[in-house]
Amino acid sequence: PVSQPASPCLLTLLLTPFTLGAPISLTDPINQAYNLALYMQKNTSVLLQTYLQYQGSPFSDPGFSAPELQLSNLPPAAVPFMLWRGLGDGERLLQARGAFSALAQHLQLVSDDQADLNPSSSVLLSQLAAARLRAQGLMGNIVSVMTALGVSIPAEMDSLGPAPFGASAFERKCRGYVVTREYGHWTDRAVRDMALLKAKYVV
Amino acid sequence: MEVYFYLRLLLKRGENKRMRNSSKFQWLSSVIFLYLVNQAHGQKRGVPHDLKCITHNLKIWDCSWEASYRINHGTTYEVCIVNSSYSCIQTEKTHFEIPALSLADHEIKISSTHVSGNSVTKFILSERNVSLVPATLQILNLTADFSTSTLYLKWNDNGSAFPHHSNVIWEIIVLYKEDMEVATVATFNTTLMGKDSVHHWNWTSDIPLECTAHHVKIRYYIDELHFFGQKEWSEWIPLRISGSPIKESYEVFPRDKVVPVGSNMMFCCVVEETVLTAQYGSEKCSLIPLDNKSVGIKINNITISPSSGTNVVFTTRSNLYGTVVFAGYPPDIPKKLNCETRDLKEIICSWNPGRPTGLVGPRDTNYILYERFSGRNVTYKRDEEHMNENHQLIFQMISGQERYNFTLKASNPLGGSEAVILVDITQRVYPHTPSKLNVKGINSTAIFLEWHLSGNFANINLFCEIEINSAYSGQELRNITVKGLETSSYHVSVDKLIPYTMYTFRVRCSSEKFWKWSKWSNEKQYLTMEGIPSKGPDIWREWSADGKSVIIYWKPLPFNEANGKILSYDVSYGLEEETQYLSEIPDPHHKAEIKLDRNDYNDYIISVVAKNSVGSSPPSKITSLEIPNEDLKMEQVVGIGNGILFHWNYDLNMTCDYVIKWCNSTRSEPCLIDWKKFPANSTGALIEYDNFQSGTRYNFFLYGCKNQKYQLLRSIVGYTEELAPNVAPNFTVEDTSADSILVKWEDIPVEDLRGFLRGYLFYFEKGEKGTSKIQGLESETRRSDVKVKNITDITQKTLRIVDLQGKTGYHLLLQAYTDGGVGPGKAMYVVTKENSEGLIIAILIPVAVAIFVGVVTSILCYRKREWIKETFYPDIPNPENSKALQFHKSVCEGSSALKTLEMNPCTPNNVEVVETRSAAPKIEEDTEIKSPVAVVPEEGSDAEPENHVVVSYCPPIIEEEIANAGGEEAGGSSQVIYIDIQSMYQPQAKPEEELENNSVGGAGYKPQMHLPVTSTVENIIVADDLEKTAGYRPQANVNAWNLDSPDSPRSIDSNSEVVSFGSPCSINSRQFLIPPKDEESPKSSNGGWSFTNFFQNKPND
Repeated sequence: PVSQPASPCLLTLLLTPFTLGAPISLTDPINQAYNLALYMQKNTSVLLQTYLQYQGSPFSDPGFSAPELQLSNLPPAAVPFMLWRGLGDGERLLQARGAFSALAQHLQLVSDDQADLNPSSSVLLSQLAAARLRAQGLMGNIVSVMTALGVSIPAEMDSLGPAPFGASAFERKCRGYVVTREYGHWTDRAVRDMALLKAKYVV
Repeated sequence: MEVYFYLRLLLKRGENKRMRNSSKFQWLSSVIFLYLVNQAHGQKRGVPHDLKCITHNLKIWDCSWEASYRINHGTTYEVCIVNSSYSCIQTEKTHFEIPALSLADHEIKISSTHVSGNSVTKFILSERNVSLVPATLQILNLTADFSTSTLYLKWNDNGSAFPHHSNVIWEIIVLYKEDMEVATVATFNTTLMGKDSVHHWNWTSDIPLECTAHHVKIRYYIDELHFFGQKEWSEWIPLRISGSPIKESYEVFPRDKVVPVGSNMMFCCVVEETVLTAQYGSEKCSLIPLDNKSVGIKINNITISPSSGTNVVFTTRSNLYGTVVFAGYPPDIPKKLNCETRDLKEIICSWNPGRPTGLVGPRDTNYILYERFSGRNVTYKRDEEHMNENHQLIFQMISGQERYNFTLKASNPLGGSEAVILVDITQRVYPHTPSKLNVKGINSTAIFLEWHLSGNFANINLFCEIEINSAYSGQELRNITVKGLETSSYHVSVDKLIPYTMYTFRVRCSSEKFWKWSKWSNEKQYLTMEGIPSKGPDIWREWSADGKSVIIYWKPLPFNEANGKILSYDVSYGLEEETQYLSEIPDPHHKAEIKLDRNDYNDYIISVVAKNSVGSSPPSKITSLEIPNEDLKMEQVVGIGNGILFHWNYDLNMTCDYVIKWCNSTRSEPCLIDWKKFPANSTGALIEYDNFQSGTRYNFFLYGCKNQKYQLLRSIVGYTEELAPNVAPNFTVEDTSADSILVKWEDIPVEDLRGFLRGYLFYFEKGEKGTSKIQGLESETRRSDVKVKNITDITQKTLRIVDLQGKTGYHLLLQAYTDGGVGPGKAMYVVTKENSEGLIIAILIPVAVAIFVGVVTSILCYRKREWIKETFYPDIPNPENSKALQFHKSVCEGSSALKTLEMNPCTPNNVEVVETRSAAPKIEEDTEIKSPVAVVPEEGSDAEPENHVVVSYCPPIIEEEIANAGGEEAGGSSQVIYIDIQSMYQPQAKPEEELENNSVGGAGYKPQMHLPVTSTVENIIVADDLEKTAGYRPQANVNAWNLDSPDSPRSIDSNSEVVSFGSPCSINSRQFLIPPKDEESPKSSNGGWSFTNFFQNKPND
């Protein structure tokens, strides 16, 4: 039902500059990943706000924030800047790839949760589905960059572990909140990741 | 014996004192007393005392006693029941068990043996001294359902241990929180049935069981009627709750609970940290401490939750914990449950869910449609995308079953409801929309209609409605019943259609036992086949003007008789046997000319046949000749609006029909606009024709038909509506005389008449040219001086107007009128001739009279010439003898009543010599003096406007009034009178009377007298003086004259020198011709001939 992923693909095709100064095999993936991340960045806050709006008070209260909520199997995007800056390209990409892999899985979980809690909220459900597809898309782009950089790609991990069926409604709401929030944070970080690579490899 | 005595005594007293049915009290008092007695003995003697017996099951008594510790160690006892079959019991302990003894008193002898010696103690024991204490229970189960916060207890009552039916009282207590508050105490009764029974008890906690520790204890009391001893409660039996909280990780309870709107709920948070705040939805709540690591909140009257539930959140310093509650409603009873089938294959049941539950997703309402007869059910599959107000479920029909008893069960976590409907499905058929509608022609008036209707209707009849629509016949609905089919293809024949007509068909169906119409199928157009024209055309014939040919006319066949497209007409004519055909005449032509000679007197039969592609119509026939009609009159008729009504008498001879044909009367022959036929039995007709025009004359001819031959019955001229003529009649003046005018006019042409002429209106009016008031005015507003003649004889063409004035201009106007109004008029101006005869007469008569008078005068003069000469021209004039004045008098006054010229005897003394002055011009030959100037009355302000009045200056009279003048007449005694001609001839009486009045005030004009009268008194005095002086003295005081009458023209003209004023008429004489006073003359005193009289009268004119 989601037609939006087509547009970033188109966008990336259009925006991809043909630069002679860098290997074609590296420029394209970086640009694609960067552009997609940039596009995703525009929608992340909308997704988070839409999500919270459907969860009722206090989630839907203006300015709601609960940074203390974390998910053990979803790596947080927050990282000390110098630590992040000091990471090697491969390691940085590896973390991003792992995060978006986990995010894509979690977004599927959140979609299912919301189909139970808010079955008639088609706006939210379609945004979640779109976000999941974009996360998968960005993950693929990162893998392309890693391939181009020659970074070895480990097998994708099952970050969710055993099916978390027993979660209460409140846990599911919180889980969704953390996922959509981290999706935004990780997208921001991916933009920075890709900008760094772009500066480095694409002239 | 002492013990026994006391025991009995106590028991007696106890029995007296105890409460009714209070075994507890009885037991307690007995034990206390037994204990006290034995204690006293034992301590006193150091031997067993305080024997106590209890029983758990009424079969075994368990007795024990107290012994002194000094002798207890190493002591052996022998317990014997005296006088019983039981052997003695050897024991080292201080208790023993014995089977339950009979109700009687039993002596128990306990012999104790120890190192210091032996002793024997005796007790009296009976059942009354034994206590019944129920044994510990066998608890089967105590489980907690944390999801519902409910405790379930299940136990065995051990009833088999008791031989009899006994009532049991159970008491269960639940304690919670750290300080063991009582959550609930439950007491209830059961009956032991002589066998083991399992009992259940459950309890739902207000607060989730996870919130804090709960403790449950139970005890019971057996009210055994056949036991006379003391009955006691059992010990409290603590129970262990099996089942544990679901997971450690859930901090807030209850989790994901679905509750009805309006319930009261307790939520708790179990965490190590300190809870700072709690909120329910967006509402802050106050915390209720439960125990050291658990706090709760209480929410009353919960309102409906949003779709994702209401969040309950507890906040600590570092984290937030929460749960979600879903508050909603149990499902409403399904509304408007209705089951019907569209194809008799599946049943569609639809309903309205009613009030929203507020619960969605897994908590939403489940619907199950259950059919009672077949036992089958269908579950509702929720389709989120097609959610609307109405839900529906499809139930596959069971072959052979027509009656269905459906129960729709609705359920959600909060409850359920159901609705029931019993249907005979054959009466609930709502067919699909018929499709694939197709038409096949059978003949020109019938078709086959085919359509497809999916469904298996083999067991019922279908009731279908066919809508047949055509532009010609409008809409028609036909209902048919068709046998239902399994194959879905239906076809029916539809007849009674009109040939060659474009029809539009559509179909809808229902079952024969009507429930609902299907929707209409799509429309299908079809043109029916052509048929043979059903009638011959309507024909008529007209002879040409010269009688050499006959033109046969026919009208195109109406649509319903043509039955197709008419291609051509066959015209034939002939005598009895032989028939000649004209060539085929193609359709757009509707007349044919046949060369026949009317003068042959052969009566041909002309026939016309219309043909279309299928065949020919029956022929229409008409004979060429008419039956003559001698007495034919022209009639007139006026229509009603757009039509004309004709009536005729019923005539048995007319066997075929009547025909009315008509044409515009101004057209030349053959004249035919249209004709219309009416059946033979009709007696009237209304001819309506779109092209009839108002004000146009039509000729109508009514024909009757006898033996296929027409006879002209009436010839009628008519208008559908009459209008006023639109031209004026053209008229001329044929003759004019001094008093009459002869007018002649022409007929107005018929086409301009626009109605039947009813007459003319002739107006005439005297007036000058160009001032006519006739034209442009409506007749009713014409002035009365306009004369009108209404000529109703329309054959009259001339009109003589008489009694006119000669040589006078007349305006003439002629208008024609019909019943439709008056037409325009033609105007003319005519001057009548001079009347010569009258003029001659008018001249001749005065001439004749003048001649006659002249002759008579001449004769008289001749015959009296001597007298005349003597009188007027004597040789020696003798004033005494002069008759001139008398002559003058007679001529001038003309009335014998006036005596003004009657002279008083002249007193020579009074006549003074008059100076010869040039006043002569004022005296003309006649005695009358015409004064060209108006005499102004005394009142200066009252200016007399009538200057033109000829005032004659009456002969100057000098009266000397002597006699009998009254005081009041004094002022008028000698006066000069100015009088006009008319006044002159008035009777004298009136001036006299007026004089009396007017002279009193001295108002009279007294020009010749200087009499300054200022008052009445003076007036009288003056009058007296006047009598003495008594004379007219015009010459006496010229100045006074002037002063008194400053306005007098005479005074102005004459100035002061005028002294001859008032001189009598005399042509030649310059003297005053004063005749001597005639004494005998009556009324000489102050007759009309005085100046005073003149002036007095003047204002009265």
